[in-house]
Amino acid sequence: MAENSQETDEQLLDRIGRDVLLAQERKRGVLAFRSAVMFMAPAAFIVSAVLLFPVVYNVYLSFTKWKRFKGYDEFAGFGNYERLTTNHFFTEAFANTAIWVAASITLPLLLGLGLALLLRNVPGEGLFKTIIFIPRILAPTAVAVLWYYVYAPDGIVNWFLGLFLPGDVDIGWLYQDNTITPSIIATFVWQSVGLVMVLILLGLAAIPRDPIEAATIDGATPFQVFRHIVLPLLSPTILVVTILSVLAGFTAFDLLWVMGTSYPGQRTLSLAVFMYFEAFQKGSWAFGSAIAVVIGFVVLSVTWIQALLQNHIDKMTK
Amino acid sequence: MTFKTKIAAAVLGAGALWASGAAADVELVHDKGFWSEALQEMGDAAGEMTGNRIIETAYANPEQYKAFIYTSAASDDMPNMFTWWTGGVYEDLVDTGQIAPLDDVWDAMIARGDFDAGLRDFYSVGDHVYGVPLHLSRWVALYNKEHFKSVGLDEPQTWEDLVEDAAKLKAAGITPFHATTQDGWRGFIWFQEIMIRTNPEAYAGLHDGSVAYDSEPVRAAFEIWSDWYQKGYFTDPRSNDEVADFARGEGAIYLIGDWAVGLVEAAGMKSGEDFSAFIVPNMDPKLPSSTILEGAPLVLSVAGMKDPDTLAGLEFFVSVDGANAWAKASGNSIGNANAEAPNAIVEKINADVAEKGTIAIDRWWEAVPAELQGEFVAEFNRFMLDPTMDTAEQVMSNLQSLNEEYWAEN
Amino acid sequence: MASSIDDLDLKALVAAERRNNRPNWPLAVLALVISAVWIVPFYYMATSIFKTTEEYSQNHPLSLPASWHPVIENAVTAWTNAKMASGLLNSMLYSTVGAGLAVFIAALAAYGLTRFDFRGRNLWFMLIFSGTVFPLQMYLIPLFFTYQGLNLLNTHAGMLIFYTAICIPFPVLVLRNFMNGLSREMDEAARMDGAHELTVFLKIILPNCWGPMTATFLLQFTWIWNDLLFSTVLANKTDVRSIMNALQTFQGSYASTGPNVVMTATIIASLPSLILFFLLRRHFMEGMRISTV
Repeated sequence: MAENSQETDEQLLDRIGRDVLLAQERKRGVLAFRSAVMFMAPAAFIVSAVLLFPVVYNVYLSFTKWKRFKGYDEFAGFGNYERLTTNHFFTEAFANTAIWVAASITLPLLLGLGLALLLRNVPGEGLFKTIIFIPRILAPTAVAVLWYYVYAPDGIVNWFLGLFLPGDVDIGWLYQDNTITPSIIATFVWQSVGLVMVLILLGLAAIPRDPIEAATIDGATPFQVFRHIVLPLLSPTILVVTILSVLAGFTAFDLLWVMGTSYPGQRTLSLAVFMYFEAFQKGSWAFGSAIAVVIGFVVLSVTWIQALLQNHIDKMTK
Repeated sequence: MTFKTKIAAAVLGAGALWASGAAADVELVHDKGFWSEALQEMGDAAGEMTGNRIIETAYANPEQYKAFIYTSAASDDMPNMFTWWTGGVYEDLVDTGQIAPLDDVWDAMIARGDFDAGLRDFYSVGDHVYGVPLHLSRWVALYNKEHFKSVGLDEPQTWEDLVEDAAKLKAAGITPFHATTQDGWRGFIWFQEIMIRTNPEAYAGLHDGSVAYDSEPVRAAFEIWSDWYQKGYFTDPRSNDEVADFARGEGAIYLIGDWAVGLVEAAGMKSGEDFSAFIVPNMDPKLPSSTILEGAPLVLSVAGMKDPDTLAGLEFFVSVDGANAWAKASGNSIGNANAEAPNAIVEKINADVAEKGTIAIDRWWEAVPAELQGEFVAEFNRFMLDPTMDTAEQVMSNLQSLNEEYWAEN
Repeated sequence: MASSIDDLDLKALVAAERRNNRPNWPLAVLALVISAVWIVPFYYMATSIFKTTEEYSQNHPLSLPASWHPVIENAVTAWTNAKMASGLLNSMLYSTVGAGLAVFIAALAAYGLTRFDFRGRNLWFMLIFSGTVFPLQMYLIPLFFTYQGLNLLNTHAGMLIFYTAICIPFPVLVLRNFMNGLSREMDEAARMDGAHELTVFLKIILPNCWGPMTATFLLQFTWIWNDLLFSTVLANKTDVRSIMNALQTFQGSYASTGPNVVMTATIIASLPSLILFFLLRRHFMEGMRISTV
């Protein structure tokens, strides 16, 4: 061809060489990829098969009519999701879940922060911190069993109240609509505040002393120092702690499962419990899958908000 | 069992063993963990007597067990022999077409004179019968003989007697009735009893949607129930230990299926001596005497029916030898007329039933649509924890809204 | 939180703090009052296990036990009725093998993600890590049916497969970050000498990763040990169920044996993780820290 004939030998060699180089490069890339895959395959395979496939399958099931023996292969469209809107157990479970979210955003953080600030100046703080941290090492099931008896009609909570109230106190904390959710949340906070406190202490320890001392010398009150210096520097820790608490509170199952056994409305204690009842007690598999999808949706939203806030904070601190 | 029959059984067993070439293990899948040991004892007896040893496989709780059976139906792979419940879930199960009809087995059972033909209907769906009894329990009032003696009471013969007895017991400082929400399923017991004693017709209507849960007969039952609570006739519903409470003498009357007799004995009372039982009388004396009858069925899958060893296992269960072995192991009766009564109380109740011509009524738990069971019983529990008429009204309206929704769809 | 592992030493932290703050005794009294909320339930549990059922039901819940002997009978009752031996063995198996396998598989994946240059590395990471974004509830129903179909329900193998899978994503995140920080010079040199990739991984990279691997192992170990939900759904039979499932079932169905016995069972079930914590406290704290960054 005309163009080829115009090419000099040098140019030709150059071109071949470049091709060879490129090919070699590509081959190395392929080899690297192959080796990498060998290392990543077990993890990728197991995670896909045991975790990701079920998620997809779950979404599929939520669009079927499967209940007990029937409907596995019948398509229901959004029927299960529509049923959610009219099911009053779902409404109650959702409301209780909202209470859990609100409580787990605020309580562990506020109490953890308070404890961290308090214990910083206390003699024997190591011992106090260990005591408050221990519940975190115990399984939620174990904590729930203990508190099931603490809240019993003849348990120590009622004994304590009996010191101040007249007559025989035998409140069934875990039997009544208006007391059970606050009671279990209290146990949740009791168990999780130790970790929050430790994490906040770590965050506090990382705050430089200089600006605080300078501000104090300039006549700032301790509250002003806290509000304008400590709090902004602590915000990354606070965000992490809050997200951890919310996700833990939102998906809490063990505490509700064990402490709620005597409560007639156990299925309404949270979405996670409601889903278990619908699927594994009533055999409404498709409906249960739809509840799981709703839970998934909320969890992903929380994670997404976390990512946004994280970005925001990263930008601010830069 | 006499020495002779033992020998006969051994010979037969050996013969069967030789004939089939090897002892076959037959699996029995169930969710009655509390009977695991008893079922194994029974299974070993089957092995000794017929050469077909029954091996029990227990699922830890009814929920997981149901889920397991539901899924085996979806994959067309039901266990050969397993236990189930009567009522709505039974019809659902038969609907799958994977359960074998046992008409021939029942023909033989009745022909031998072991079983009453009426019982066959109890396990029938449509034109066929699909199950045999794993146990048959009448729901009766167990009572503490010492408490009754100390107040000078006899077994109540009329509703008025019962109400008076309760008042006398209470006046003597003894709580008349046991009732708890233990394990979450017991809430229906007193509701069911008051309903069948005051208005059995309305009780039956509750289960096909023709009588509403907020109708007058139901309200009347709740009024009695609530009134008795206000008078302090019931024990603390929050107790987690009904049987031990009764054995300790906390209350006088314990309304429960006669399968509980063995449990009370295990807790230290002797049946017939320390405690006995009576059939609760009706409010309207013209109504026939009745009791709730509960009887979990033993069923075979279509594949199980084709397996001669599995069929032989089931047949042993309903034979006189099988019924006796099972009675000895668990204290349960399966209604085999030629078998021995498992304990003094069942014997006494059998005599009462024969004398009064007592009829059987379906238990609420099985009769209520399976889908509503759990939610409804939770509502009854809610009432027991706060037994005012205000709560009762709330409970009735909650029950009825679920009930209406269900019957509109089905 | 850019603190290094050494900064986590609480004692050093305390010392630094103390230099800046003199002890404040009124606050100590307040702290004591507040910590009573933790101390009293612990005290209640610790004394209850030394009581007989009768003693427990007839005396004040906070009364001192008459003698220490009943604890033996309580432990024996709990041990046999809750079938704790099999629960503990099962959980030990699931926790050690599950967490161990998971961390090893995660280390392999992290090596693949950090030691080779290829396109779509982030995608691969996201694929593996996405296993941790979804709530556990989304796995339950599908896993139950899949396990049912594959005959994995109520088997040790089935439980191990799930626990291994659920414990992979998080260590991948941690180990990937850690290995990214390791210099590639060492392994490049080994590769020049003709070492096989697996050799490089086993001989050079792994020995440098013991710190984060131990920390993540402990976290995952505890997660599996504490799990109730998946054992309840996937392995409810006595001979395969986890210790927490055994405890929950015991509390639910053997309430009649008395709170004193159930609490003894609770303590037995918690002892392994408590002992592990006090022995390996530093690694635990490191795990807590990395789980938040």
